[in-house]
Order: sequence, then C-alpha cells, then structure tokens
Amino acid sequence: MTNGEGELLFVFIVLPLVVAGIMPLIGKLSKKVVPDILTNLTTFFLLAYSIIVGKQIIFSGIYTTKFSWFGEPMNISLTLDGFSLLMLVTISIVSFCVTLFSIDYMEHYGHKANYYSLLLIMIAGMNGLVLSTDLFSIYVFLEVAAIASYGLVAYGLGHNELEASFKYLMLSAVASGFIVLGISIIFACTGSLTFSEVAIGIHLVNAKYLVGFCAALFLMGFGLKAALVPFHAWLPDAHPSAPAPISAMLSGVLIKVSGAYAIIRIFLNVFGLTYALSTVLMYLGLISIFVGAIIAIGQNDMKRMLAYSSISQIGYIFIGIGTGSPLGILGGLFHILNHAVFKSLLFLNSGAIEQATGTRELDKMGGLAKQMPLTATTNAIGSLSVAGIPPFNGFWSKLLIIIALVQTQHYAFAVLAVLGSVITLWYYLIIQRNAFFGKPEEIWKNVKEAPFWMSCATVILALLCIVIGVTFPFVIKTFLVPATDILASGVSYLYNFLGY
Amino acid sequence: MNIFLLCGLVCFSALAITMHNLLKSAICLGVASIFLAVLFFRMGAPYAGVFEVSIVAGLITVLFITTIVLTKREGGVKERKLTNIFFLLFFIIFIMIDFFVMKGFIGNLPNMPVGSPNLAENNNFSKVLWQYRTLDLVGQICAIFAGVFSVLALFRADKKENNNE
Repeated sequence: MTNGEGELLFVFIVLPLVVAGIMPLIGKLSKKVVPDILTNLTTFFLLAYSIIVGKQIIFSGIYTTKFSWFGEPMNISLTLDGFSLLMLVTISIVSFCVTLFSIDYMEHYGHKANYYSLLLIMIAGMNGLVLSTDLFSIYVFLEVAAIASYGLVAYGLGHNELEASFKYLMLSAVASGFIVLGISIIFACTGSLTFSEVAIGIHLVNAKYLVGFCAALFLMGFGLKAALVPFHAWLPDAHPSAPAPISAMLSGVLIKVSGAYAIIRIFLNVFGLTYALSTVLMYLGLISIFVGAIIAIGQNDMKRMLAYSSISQIGYIFIGIGTGSPLGILGGLFHILNHAVFKSLLFLNSGAIEQATGTRELDKMGGLAKQMPLTATTNAIGSLSVAGIPPFNGFWSKLLIIIALVQTQHYAFAVLAVLGSVITLWYYLIIQRNAFFGKPEEIWKNVKEAPFWMSCATVILALLCIVIGVTFPFVIKTFLVPATDILASGVSYLYNFLGY
Repeated sequence: MNIFLLCGLVCFSALAITMHNLLKSAICLGVASIFLAVLFFRMGAPYAGVFEVSIVAGLITVLFITTIVLTKREGGVKERKLTNIFFLLFFIIFIMIDFFVMKGFIGNLPNMPVGSPNLAENNNFSKVLWQYRTLDLVGQICAIFAGVFSVLALFRADKKENNNE
C-alpha cells in the first residue's frame, strides 16, 4: 500500500465538478463551441489520466490518498486499487465517447451548457463512488449521480421523458431507502462506516443474521440501481426516453457503477461472499439473463430492446461474480468493461438512426445500410460483440464466465448461459435485419449518414470492440488481473489494508 | 414528549402524501422534517438533527416551494379513489409492523465493538463535519449542483412555451 498527496485522485471528482460549475457562465459567452471543446477536453483528460497515471499509481500497490487544503489536512480519504481503476477507465472511455457524440447530437435539444453540466456532475458522482472507501460516502456519490441522471432522462421534456424520469426517481428513492436502512444497521452494529472497520466489526460482532438482513437490503437497493430482475421495472422506460448519449451513459456505466460495483465491493470485500450470497447472486443473474432476453425479442422500439438487453447482460456479470472463483470474477469484471463498450456503441447508433429517420420503431425501418453504411457496420460489430461471437470482446468475457461455471460444477448454469447468448444473437439479428438490411424503403431515400462527431464516437467504440477482443490477454493482464486479485482475496484484502 | 413529536411527524408525513395541493404538501413535508429533527436532537443525535434541518426541512422544502411557485400551475392532483384506499391500507400495515416489530428489532442490535471517532463525546458538529466527514461535504456540494442544474434543465420548457406564446 502506498500513500500520497490528495490531488492525484481528487482530480477525478473535482475537475468535472469545477468544469460543470463554470459551464453555465461559459454557455452565456458561447452557446456551442466552447462548451463542446471544454467538456470533451475534460473527459479526454480524465481518460488519459486514468489510463496513464492510474496504472502507474497502482503499479506499486493499492494507493490511498489524503487531501490537504492550504496546508491544513482534511479527512478526505480516497483509495485506488485494481477494481476502482478498472471502473474509472470504463467510466472515462464511455464518458469521452458520449461527449464526442453529443457535439452533433445535442444540437437540436438546445442549452448544451446546462446538459454538459449535468453530465459532468454525473461523471463526478460515479468517480467519487468508485474511489470511496466508506459506505455513507458511496451513498452520497450514488445520489449525486442519480440526481443528475433524473434531470438528464427528462432532458427532452416530452411527456414520455418526464414520466420515465419520475418513475425512475420514485423507484430510486425506494432503493435509496433500502440502502440507507442497511447502512444505518451496519453503523449501529459496528460503530463505523469505513469498509475496513466495518469488515472487522462484523467479524467481531458475529451477528450473521443481522448481516444477512443488511445484505438483503443492499441487494434490493443496489439491485434496483443495477436493474437486476425483479428490481428492473424502471429501466425499460428510463433508458429509451433519455437522449441517446445519456442512454449510453446509463446502460453503459451508471447501472454498473451504482449497482453492480457497489454490490460486488460490499459483498466480496466487506461482508465476504458466503455460499448463500453466492447462490442468490447466481440465481438472480440467471433470471435476469432470461427475463431480459425473452422480453427483448418482443420489442419493436429499438432503444427499448437495447434496454432489456442491458438487464440480460447484467445477469452475466452477476452469474460470473456469483461463482466466487477467480476465473468467474475475472469473467464478470471483463463483461463489465465489454458491456460498457458495446452497449454504449449500440445506444449511440440507435440515436444516430433516430436522428436520421425520426423513428425508433424497427418495423418502420429497413434498408438503411445503403444510406448509413458506417452506422450499419459499427452496429453489426456491436451486435456481434454483445451476442458473444469471436473474435469480438463479448465472446471472451462470456467464454470466461462459462468456463468458470463449468469449473465450479454449475453445469446447468453454463448451458443456460450459452442458451441466453443464443437468444441475444437472435434479437440483435432482428435489429440488424429490420433496420439495415432488406429492400430500402422509399421514405428513407434522403436519409444521410450520421454527422462527423457522432460517427467518430461510434467508430472509436467499434474499434475498441475489436481491439479488446484481439488483444484480450493484454487487457486481462493490465487491468483485470489486479482487479480480480482484490476481489478474490475477499475480506482479507481489507484486513491487510489495516494491517489487522 | 417524544410520543407527541412522533405523532406529529407521522401525521404531517401522511398529510404531505395525501394533500392534493402541491404547495400545502411541500409545507407539510417541511413541518414533518422539523418534527423529525427535534426528535433527533432529543434522542442524542445532534448531527442527524442538524442535517435534517439544513437539508430536508431547509434546502429541499425551499427547492420544492420555489419550483411550485415558478411553475405557476397550482392545481389539485386528481387521484383514483383506489390509490387512496391502498395508501391507507399500507399506512396502517406499516404502523402495525413498526409498533410490533421495530422495538424488538432495535433492542436486539449488538453493541458496537469498534470505537468510532465520530461518536466521541468531545467532538462538536463542525469538528465531525470538517475532520471526519469532509468527503460527504464535497458530495453534498455535488448534489446541490445536480439539483440546481436539473431544475434549470426542466425550466427550459417554460421559457420555450413563453417564447412561443
């Protein structure tokens, strides 16, 4: 473990927050160009910083930092380990592509400065969440990201957007209630909120039923944020209603950071993964895979289909993590990264199609490949990745999860996971066939390819699907193995952290 | 005294949900928060009390009322009768569960084994906030920013409509 000055990690929270704060003033001076440039520079800086500096920081082990204000030490403790670095990199990749895409896409919404402010606050909230080592701080930053996302979902101001945002807010409030109640009970039992002290406190108190009750509360609260079945009702409304870049952020990273990350971190490193927790996670994962996939097949709205697909793919992450084996955890974490990349790509493509044609209804589309060849190609890459076709990135993460299931003798789960992947391929072929292939419809003859920056963002994500798939041993060694080591070591990671 | 405060809290919380006028509903929520804050103070949780007064009774109530006044659409919210019946039913069930289960549950909480500096008696509110929960302050600033920008984003509609009018 290494210690250092606070500025290194605090940048991930403060930089987007400061830029968000000054954005309305900048918006008064320049309505479009300067907000576009400043936001994209910020997200690009965070991406480069997380990859280059973040990697160097954890090269010598887990990095903990204390922040000082004009020489006065303040109790802001942030920690960067392999798992938080993986999440930071994932957030930064999607954020950068989303802001790039927003340059052209958000033109017709207007008030770009306000939009960028909310987006940057959401990024700050997610970064804060993954760097926190305290249950209540996790809750605070989770709420920050959530409040910004309510505003962003409603950004279109149409009836559907406002209704979806309200539904999302109401269900999130219920989730927050469960989370706060769980945190309160933990605090009452252990007298602390920091991960390490809570882990030790739980060990000393030996109140396994109470911990089980808190685990159930966290599972309901964070499970609702992660849209795990049966807590998924808000997602199919919220994600399609938001502007496409926000759908990409929500499906790509927010459900993983505020739901999956929190569950994985607390269950594996703080509570310790017991047989009961592992079983619950695996069954919820399996149910999510099938419920999401089967409902997705029946959808005609492209974004709604993608939203149900997110529920299904989240299931793979939980089924992998639930095995508790290092390979299963590795597969689950790899799928977090991969799903963020290909689902963001698919949501951005749906935005490009909607902007070009004015519809999201698949049965009204057809033959768009001729008018939008680049979008058709990148969409095909994303679809093949999510369906787990080699050599794209989604194949390797699903393969690792299935091998882990076989190794841990969960043969039925392995077979069903493969079946889920086949269903996924089925409904993504429906999208590809209905939207891009077939005879070009007469009404779409004047449709044009997506503008430059929108295409740029989708091409980057499509290339990432290929590059991560082809160079997967490098990605695993560089980013995933350090994260897996942290989680596979379970509670002992925090005991070592305190020198306990 | 605590029982009276608790009854006030429950009554005003129920009124906040059942009131059809949004402005009155927001005010009831604020009053309920003040009852809760006083309860926190009386039960030896001053930090929670201060947060309750500042954030919920203060900031959120002001934000609600400002939003309602600015929208200039104070109308009654029409609900189905069935909704009110279900609410009443769930409310009674919740109160019964609270009455019969929570006391025993809280009584069974084990003692705290780890001494937390936050709980030490000689710490005052500002010391705890600045020295032990500083990161939460940053989070609160972020949350306030997010709330303000969300309200600004939602008010674009009125500007648009006003321009069109």
